[in-house]
Amino acid sequence: MIWFQLQSLMGSYPLALRGLGMTIALSGISLVLGTILGFALGVLRTSGSRWLDSAIGLWVDLIRGTPFLVQIFLIFFILPELGIELDAFTAGIIALTNLAACFICEIVAAGIRSVPTGQVEAALASGLSQWQRMRQVVLPQAMRVSLPPLVGQYVLLIKDSSVVSAIGLTDLTRVGWLVVQRVPNGLLVFAIVGIGYFVVCYPLILLARRLERRMSAAHGEVQL
Amino acid sequence: MIEFRGVNKWFGALHVLKDITLSVEPREVVVVCGPSGSGKSTLIRCINGLETIKDGDLVVDGQRLGDRATNMTELRTEIGFVFQAFNLYPHKTALENVTLAPIHVRKIARAEAEASGREMLAKVGLGDKFNAYPSELSGGQQQRVAIARCLCMRPKIMLFDEPTSALDPEMISEVLDVMVGVAEEGMTMMVVTHEMGFARKVAQRVVFMDAGAVVETGTPEEFFSDPKTDRSRAFLSKILRH
Amino acid sequence: MLENFSFRTIVEYLPLFGQGFAATLWLSIVSFAGALAVGIILCAMNLQRSRLLQLPAKIYIDAIRATPLLAQLYFLYFGLPRLGVVLPELFVGILALALNSGAYIAEIIRAGILSISRGQVEAGIASGMTYAQRMRLVILPQAIRVTIPPLLGQAIVLVKDSALLSLISVAELTRAGQLLASDRFMPAEGFLTTAACYLVLYYGLKSLAVFSARWLGVRPIGSRT
Repeated sequence: MIWFQLQSLMGSYPLALRGLGMTIALSGISLVLGTILGFALGVLRTSGSRWLDSAIGLWVDLIRGTPFLVQIFLIFFILPELGIELDAFTAGIIALTNLAACFICEIVAAGIRSVPTGQVEAALASGLSQWQRMRQVVLPQAMRVSLPPLVGQYVLLIKDSSVVSAIGLTDLTRVGWLVVQRVPNGLLVFAIVGIGYFVVCYPLILLARRLERRMSAAHGEVQL
Repeated sequence: MIEFRGVNKWFGALHVLKDITLSVEPREVVVVCGPSGSGKSTLIRCINGLETIKDGDLVVDGQRLGDRATNMTELRTEIGFVFQAFNLYPHKTALENVTLAPIHVRKIARAEAEASGREMLAKVGLGDKFNAYPSELSGGQQQRVAIARCLCMRPKIMLFDEPTSALDPEMISEVLDVMVGVAEEGMTMMVVTHEMGFARKVAQRVVFMDAGAVVETGTPEEFFSDPKTDRSRAFLSKILRH
Repeated sequence: MLENFSFRTIVEYLPLFGQGFAATLWLSIVSFAGALAVGIILCAMNLQRSRLLQLPAKIYIDAIRATPLLAQLYFLYFGLPRLGVVLPELFVGILALALNSGAYIAEIIRAGILSISRGQVEAGIASGMTYAQRMRLVILPQAIRVTIPPLLGQAIVLVKDSALLSLISVAELTRAGQLLASDRFMPAEGFLTTAACYLVLYYGLKSLAVFSARWLGVRPIGSRT
């Protein structure tokens, strides 16, 4: 029985590979775009303009306050009504990029706020321009604080990409859903799907942990 | 009361205690001093088992540490320990801090524990701070609560690990005064400190440590007026220069 | 364009959204209670010296954190019948949410316990307390305060995650939106209303988190130095 199912699963091998490819492409592209956008938003949020800060803050709240599934549905079903035709892949990229940008914006903003004002004052005193202060003094220090949660956020992003299967994109989770219709062994099929995600996510989790440990060691925090 | 015989300890490859032989008699007050990293904190942390020793014998109150027959938890109730960073429980008031162990470890009735807690807090000059939380107290007051917390357990020995080095200068004397009081009541004390005034006033002996070894011991008079080794002379010239 | 946006249809469907809102609320509460239980057990196992207890907890936590909730949900939904366990979709959903959030809660509690400084532990040891006494009297009372705000954060995540239950046709908030979208071909009305309902829950929990952090911060944790 199991042997037969395994054989049948072997037949789905190309499909599974395509699904994994789709998951990696989706999360890879939106990860890069989301990071760029998120950094820009994070810097803008701390630029001193109250108006910008609260506008971005409101958007971040709206995105953080609603399920990603609902956001995907909104983008996929409503943008066409506004005259913007888009396929499921583009809709998925837009939704994931937006989600990533919002979370990364908060991480970057928190990192920037964690840099002591004395640092900015020292940079001011030595005559650096605003851009130079950001680039040479603030961001390098903010990055040290932001890096561990940033990597953690990437893991969440890859996992969230599975939700895009709901609008029919054939990613890893959707492949599992398709295969389980033919091979009625949900434990086996979704264990394999899980392994697919694990292989991608776990190294990142380990990396995030290592960065975190290095940082808390640098700050001399005491452990139990 | 406390006896080190050929005690050695390593942190990894670092030899932090080198062949320590030293004994403290009942009612004796011993001050331990030396440059930072000399192993003096490690030395007194071994006495109540916050650190374990690698070889040699350490006998405290007649019990050999590391023996199966020695119940560390019980032995610790006889040893008060005052930390550099106070380590008061931030979620408990001053009175709750001093009564926690008597009630739960010594199993003394709450009313009785609170009565003696009030008495001890009053004795260290904090009769008006029973219900204050540590965050509402100054460093000097917190350290005095920490001393009262130990006294409430009616210990046979009190250990002090640099009790004044986290304090602002104006608070040091209020803590030292309390310690002098405790010493004058005949407590067996081992104190890691650089407060030489305290050493002169109450210590019977000063132990000078460097690089994990006891380099010199003597009465405060001998040690301060006539240090015998180059290392102790160098150390004294540094701390007494100002 | 959205010029035919129909508020009237939304009003017509309000009872459905009301039911969905209530369902999301109570299934989240039940799942969160389950997740707390799972989290406490996992954390207790993880803090033991015995590797026999520690290792299964660590593996479980890592496996949950490295895989998406949707895959876990399908694993149970398609897998449980295979083991002869046939549960209503709602129970499968609650189980998946509790098992998933439990892993994150275990880490939150652990971080709370580890945030208590070494000095606190040593003060307990020095006054002759046993491990159990130190935990009960010194560490946990302080750790619980630290963990309440992040636990509320996890509750927010759980409420949002519960939207995935609509994909195994549990009748909750997102499902209500889907019904309006497919019955009347009004996705904008359906999903914007759904989003608005989630925002009510989000802002409620968020202000609770902010309030609790401020309230717990009245007596700052940690003495000087």
